[in-house]
Parts: sequence; C-alpha cells; structure tokens
Amino acid sequence: MTSGERTDFLYPFIERDERDVDALLVDLARSAAAKHAESSALRSTTLSNQAGAVALVADAMARRFRAGGRLFTFGNGGSATDAASIAALFATPPHGRPVPARNLAEDPAILTALGNDVGFDLVFSRQLIAHAGRDDIALGISTSGGSRNVLTAMHEARGRGMLTVGLAGYGGGELARSPDVDHCLVVEAESVHRIQETQDALACAVWEEVQRRLEVVGG
Amino acid sequence: MWCLAPEWPEHGRHVAVEFVHPVIMGKRALPSVAIDGVDAVARLRASVRPGDIVLAVASASEQRVFEVMQRAPAWGATSIWIGTGPRPPARSPDHLLWSSDASELGRHDGSMVFAYHVLWELVHVCFEHPGLLDDADACDVDGACITCSDEARLAEVASIVAPSLATVRTARGVEEIDTTLVDPVDAGDLLLIHGGVAITHVEAVS
Repeated sequence: MTSGERTDFLYPFIERDERDVDALLVDLARSAAAKHAESSALRSTTLSNQAGAVALVADAMARRFRAGGRLFTFGNGGSATDAASIAALFATPPHGRPVPARNLAEDPAILTALGNDVGFDLVFSRQLIAHAGRDDIALGISTSGGSRNVLTAMHEARGRGMLTVGLAGYGGGELARSPDVDHCLVVEAESVHRIQETQDALACAVWEEVQRRLEVVGG
Repeated sequence: MWCLAPEWPEHGRHVAVEFVHPVIMGKRALPSVAIDGVDAVARLRASVRPGDIVLAVASASEQRVFEVMQRAPAWGATSIWIGTGPRPPARSPDHLLWSSDASELGRHDGSMVFAYHVLWELVHVCFEHPGLLDDADACDVDGACITCSDEARLAEVASIVAPSLATVRTARGVEEIDTTLVDPVDAGDLLLIHGGVAITHVEAVS
C-alpha cells in the first residue's frame, strides 16, 4: 500500500463550486501523458537494467520446460490477473512454442475451499503440493514482495525441487531476500500501478528469451 | 461498472479489482464487477441499470462486445471500450481508448494494463473536484436537451404485450410503445422510438 503520488498540487482550486470543466480536462490529459511517459521510461529502464537477470531466469526456465516441466503462476488481486496473463502467454502464445502453464488463482472452488479450510496463506502452496514436482517452475508475483501466501508457496516450491522465480516491486521486500527464491526480478518504483505494468513487461521479456532458447534446441 | 473481456477475462477482473479494492489506501471503493462467460450479453441485460457503465477490454473482432456496446444506450448505460490492434468502426462505444500501434504482445506487456490503471487514477482525480461532478448541468430528460428530446431513442424490446404493443427498455426505464409501423417484433430486437411509437428496426450486429 502506498499514499501514491500527490496530485493536489496540480489542482489548487479544489472547491465545491468549481465549474470549469475544461481546465480539469486539460489537466487530466496532461496528467495521462505524463503517466504514460513515466510508465514507458520505467519499463525500458528496468528491461535494460535487468537484461542479465532476465537471461538467467530464461536459461533456468527453458531447461525445466525441455525436461517436461510446467509453469505455475500466482499472486493476489491485480497480481493474480497478471499471473493469469503470464500463464496465457506461455500456454497460448501469439507465436512460438506453447508450454504448459497455469494460474493458481483461476478456480473459485479451489480458492474458497482452501481459504476456508486451511487459511488464505496456504491457497497457493497447497495446490503446489497436489500438482507440482521437481521439473516444474513456480512464478510468484507480489508488488510489495511481502505477500504471505506467495512466500509460503515459494517455500513449498523450493522444498519440492521446483525452480522458483519472483516478481516484486519497491525494494523487493522479503521475496527478494528469501532463500527459497532462486531468481527475483525487482522493479524499483513506488507506485503499485507502475510496478505492475513493468512486471508484465519483465515477464514478457522472460517469455521472449525462453522462446528463443526453446527454438535454438529445436524443441 | 460492468467489466467485460470475453477473450482475456484476466483483464476484466483486473479492472474490477482495481475499482473495488484500490491499491491506494483511503481511495473510495467503487462498485465494479467482472462478467465472464458465453452468456455475458444476457447477464448484462439482466443486471445493468440506467446510469451504470459497461467497460470492455477486447479486440475489435469481439462480437459479444459489439453487441453490448450497441445495446448499452437502451439499457441507459455509458459504454467504454479499451483495446489494441485494428480499431472497431466509429461510434461503437461512447468512449474508445485505443492503441492502434500496439504489438500482438500489447495485452501481456503492461501497455493495456496501463490504459485502465490511468483510467482509475484519473477517475479518482475527478473525485477531488466535487463541483464538477454535480448533476445540475447534466442532461435533463424533461428539458430541452438536444441529445434526448425531439429525437428518436434506442429501445430494446422486452416483451410483446398485445398485437402491435410492446414493452421496451430505454435509457429512461421500461416503456410501452406502439409497434404498428415495424411489426413483427421480437424480444431482444432493437428499435428506434419516437413519441411512443417504434419508427424503425435497428439492425443488430451479429
């Protein structure tokens, strides 16, 4: 959670009887353009700073896929939907080789059963116990780096011999420091939204690098 | 607000969670629901109330979204369509947020997520200007607003009451109209109505 960027300095005339909608529309358009520039810059800076780490992650993931491994993605809230988007990219790519990938926050029956019976901290780790083994890959997303159920799943994944990859924001939090995480790609930013957009860009870069490696070996 | 993303349900859910449970503490929780499934149009027809928003995240080739965008005015809803690639035809939704130059990875690489993140951020900026959100200057259906009065309005047939008499949904609610000029009509048909009379069929996209 964050207080986000301050916007009140842009709008010093906040009052009930404000009527000049055109001035606000100009400000909103300017603000949207500034946010776009900020998001694009963060994505390209992060992709270039993390190019080496992305290559390492792709090497490790490609090895698992070649051995028949599967990708399990997970996160909470917007990160759960980003996890779904990443799983879809790997499993049903616009081009290249599809690989088995699944998002662990897809099924309300599973999530509510586990949340109700064993607690929300275990909703992902219990699914890994049921499904995953040593050739598989766990990809956990947490903008704060501190989501308990993501950290718990990483611990379970490590215990099962899986490759563990984290995507985090801010300073990376506990996820970046965890001994259970083989690779953690960190977006150095303070806005949850800009972090999520850049995490998506990083995951996309990892996918492209994995595809390149799978092509080289010819599947 | 109803969020529809038939091809990419994760984006519909992401928009919904963004508005319902804001990442910035202290911001208002706003009612927002993701709608999935093959029967999305029927579910929206049953659920949407006048004043609601229907927001789609979809490519221009998504038929269900076209149908929802076309019917939204009869349900009294504002429509927004976010997408990438080839554009849908002009005038489909009330608001089109489109990125024409995005690559095929646009829905994965954060650029589509950016579009609705910014939408959320700007909506909350607008809440800081309560004077501008006041309805006083808004369209008054009994007044002389050019968008409403003395023009035909879109209606969706709800049921046939009697020969040449049907109940329809419009932005004003449920109305009874004379269908003599356009008979036969069926439930779900789109009509233009004026002065309590249906004057023509509107071809549904399909």
